[in-house]
Amino acid sequence: MSTETNQTRASGLDALAGLVSHTTTQGIPTLYAPAQGGEITAGLFFRVGRADETLATSGITHLVEHLALHRLGLTDLHHNGTTANAYTLFHVTGSEAEVVAHLNAVCAALRDLPLERLETEKEILRTEAAGRGQGANSQMPLWRYGAQGYGLSSYRELGTWSLTADQVRHWARTRFTRDNAVLWITSGHVPAGLDLTLPAGTRVPAPAATGALPVTPAYIHGDDGHVVFTSVLPRTTAASVFADVLGRALFQDLRQEGGYSYTAEADYSPRDADFATLTAYADALPQKQDAVVGGFVDTLARLRAGRIEQAELDAVRGKILKMYDVPDLAAAALPSYALSLLLGHRLLSPDQHRAELEAVTVDDLREVARQAWDAGLLQVPGRGADWAGFTLAPQYSADAVTGTRHPSLEDERVTLVIGAEGVSLLTPGGPVTVRYDACAAMSVRPDGARSLTGHDGFCVSVEPTLYRGVTPDRIAALDAAVPPGAVVRLPARDPEDIPRPGQRPAGGARPARTRGAAGWAWQIGFWACAALTALWGLLCVLVTVDEAGAARPEWDAVTGIWALELPLLFVSWKLLREPRRRSR
Amino acid sequence: MSRTTSGIPGAVPGTGPFFDPYDTLPELLPLRTAARAGDWAAVRAYFAALDSPEQVSFAVGLLAEEDGVETMLERAAAEHPADPLPRTLLADRYVRIGWAIRSDLRAEHVSQDQFARFHAWLRRAEQLLIEVCAQAPWYAPAWTVRLITARGLQLGQAEARRRYDRLSAHHPHHYPAQTQLLQQLCPKWGGSWDAAHGFAREATTAAPDGAHTGALVALAHLERWLDLDGPEAGAYMRGVPVRDDLRFAAQVSVLHPDHRPGWHWIGAHSAFAMAFSLGGHFSDARRHFEALGDRASDFPWSYLSDPKAAFVKYRKSALATI
Repeated sequence: MSTETNQTRASGLDALAGLVSHTTTQGIPTLYAPAQGGEITAGLFFRVGRADETLATSGITHLVEHLALHRLGLTDLHHNGTTANAYTLFHVTGSEAEVVAHLNAVCAALRDLPLERLETEKEILRTEAAGRGQGANSQMPLWRYGAQGYGLSSYRELGTWSLTADQVRHWARTRFTRDNAVLWITSGHVPAGLDLTLPAGTRVPAPAATGALPVTPAYIHGDDGHVVFTSVLPRTTAASVFADVLGRALFQDLRQEGGYSYTAEADYSPRDADFATLTAYADALPQKQDAVVGGFVDTLARLRAGRIEQAELDAVRGKILKMYDVPDLAAAALPSYALSLLLGHRLLSPDQHRAELEAVTVDDLREVARQAWDAGLLQVPGRGADWAGFTLAPQYSADAVTGTRHPSLEDERVTLVIGAEGVSLLTPGGPVTVRYDACAAMSVRPDGARSLTGHDGFCVSVEPTLYRGVTPDRIAALDAAVPPGAVVRLPARDPEDIPRPGQRPAGGARPARTRGAAGWAWQIGFWACAALTALWGLLCVLVTVDEAGAARPEWDAVTGIWALELPLLFVSWKLLREPRRRSR
Repeated sequence: MSRTTSGIPGAVPGTGPFFDPYDTLPELLPLRTAARAGDWAAVRAYFAALDSPEQVSFAVGLLAEEDGVETMLERAAAEHPADPLPRTLLADRYVRIGWAIRSDLRAEHVSQDQFARFHAWLRRAEQLLIEVCAQAPWYAPAWTVRLITARGLQLGQAEARRRYDRLSAHHPHHYPAQTQLLQQLCPKWGGSWDAAHGFAREATTAAPDGAHTGALVALAHLERWLDLDGPEAGAYMRGVPVRDDLRFAAQVSVLHPDHRPGWHWIGAHSAFAMAFSLGGHFSDARRHFEALGDRASDFPWSYLSDPKAAFVKYRKSALATI
């Protein structure tokens, strides 16, 4: 197996002969090619990233990256660390000596992480996450993949609460190994003095994709102002060309022709050795967003129908070919070659790539468009997208567990079930279930609250204050049933943040609207009028009963006093409705 | 057999007016015959001989009314996957099937189940039309039906407008699509009176002399009249601004020397005749009734409880103004 891998690698590198040199540095495969200028740039890739983590350990790779760079934080050297889904990259630019010193320091830190810094770095990561805005497409991975693998990028780094020094050390020792790394340097030679000694290990292939969408093309509801489409495509030259064609088509149809969007674009990013993620995005003014969804659907349909002008293809091809008109082509392409080598994707020489580009036809693009549609996930604001052939992504679990039943104290239609196999929340729309054996993470609060997230991304919050009969016994049963590796201990909450029935949970959806002084005036008016209405109503009933018993009932008078009740009822009703109407 | 002055063959004098397009436009009869015989080749040949997209849209809408025609259309759509016509016809047929389930009642009188089945038919139609419009964006009849699906599926004002704009890029004055967009722009479908009247006015100004488009002005006033209650409705139509609006629109459209009847002229004259009559402007209505003779269209006369009696009554008043 390992010889086979080596052979594949070797034959892949042959494609770059005469362009890129290769060797190994302390066992790390190394690509290098010269660039002009006094400074050199180097990058050390590891085949580990967020997709390798679990929800409970998420952030562990990022932590290792931060710890490895901690001692280097104060230099004015241009350097950076990146934790992506399928790789981690340490990147540095400087003089040869500076680059050598930096890379040596990174590897020294990886061999012996400054774990005394662990708690501080965890806090820094939590702060970093809190300050980081959520992009318009941040929810797409979790709907496609669930709360695992490539879906984890939708989540906060939960592990930054609970990871232990042993876990982090073990992660570094098994993932940040010389066999799981590739180095690239923009230099005609490998600089002397490099000491990148790292433990031996294995090249870990990128994780296989998980699936949370039973049917595609699928859609989900998202925020106003954004339309996002993602798909997964086999990594081919035609697919990368298609992404650019789609971006241009969206820009033309939605911005230039329609004026519905300001931004309309598409992106193609390798996911692993064989597949790439296609992301298309358009923004929209609220009053135009229905048209953006419609235009988006029509643009995708146009490409699927193969109505692609040769000129569109040629323009994109020309743009991609321009990429080769740079000085130091080989050096500029090193990061992408190194990443392909790391992921096990085929290496294409510039000539091979040019030839493939030239060979792409409109028919090829149509085929890619169909694949993109078939595997697509669309996020739309407002109305759904079922009319266009998309199926709503699952909003409820397929089934519920049985166990102790705990009615909601807020909504009589909702019941929490804590069973031997999992927990379910029974709602009028359907059940939401997390089974213990498919639990990605359970967060634990000292006040008894638990929140369970399944591998499929469904989440059930067990708040003892919000359901009847969730005793410490039931919580203990939960704790005993969830695999220890999935448990994430969170600190105590501010008592104000512990939810109480009748209030929205703190940090929940929208803060309850407070009613202003005008509202109270309406309120008082309503009660006064309602009291009068009730009194008059009572009088009416009494008079009616009295007259009915009389020898000669005066029905005219009875009708008259009942008639006066009607305007009272009307005014009360109006007063009741008024503040509601305003608070909308 | 005798002939009436209105030129409807076979019609017995005094039995009019006639609302059925197959009576008022007998050149459509071969289409119905072909459809009822399930003769796709003849249907296609009939459409191929039509000389304007407006006529194609008219005939598409008419054929879609034919019960059971979907059997032939499903087969034709499968056999001619590149031809936009069978899929457009089929989509329009699905829309009619769906709308029959929904009924023309206001939304609050339609059950959840009716809505679900109605939407399911419209989605089938829409998905055919997405494909057709992607392949043939110049094909006005498909966009015209897509304006109906957009309305039924409640895709919103902006999306309906986008569809119309895509169509009008190829056919700037496609009257059948304009009447569909006008519906969408009315408050009952989420629009506003400003939007409805504004569109009618702008489209009329932009259209060449003698186009049917001017009838949108009359249709917009009729929609507003329908929305008003009791005496307010009559007062609105009697108003001088409405009358002047109607006069101008009629002059530049159906009364203009360049006007070419086509197949929409009965509906267009009907809109003016009805609008003038409701406002008591019978001398203005006269020329429209004269043009119509014994012919009428279901729409907009169906907005009245007894279209036939109303037509006769108003026509009598109009012709008496000579």
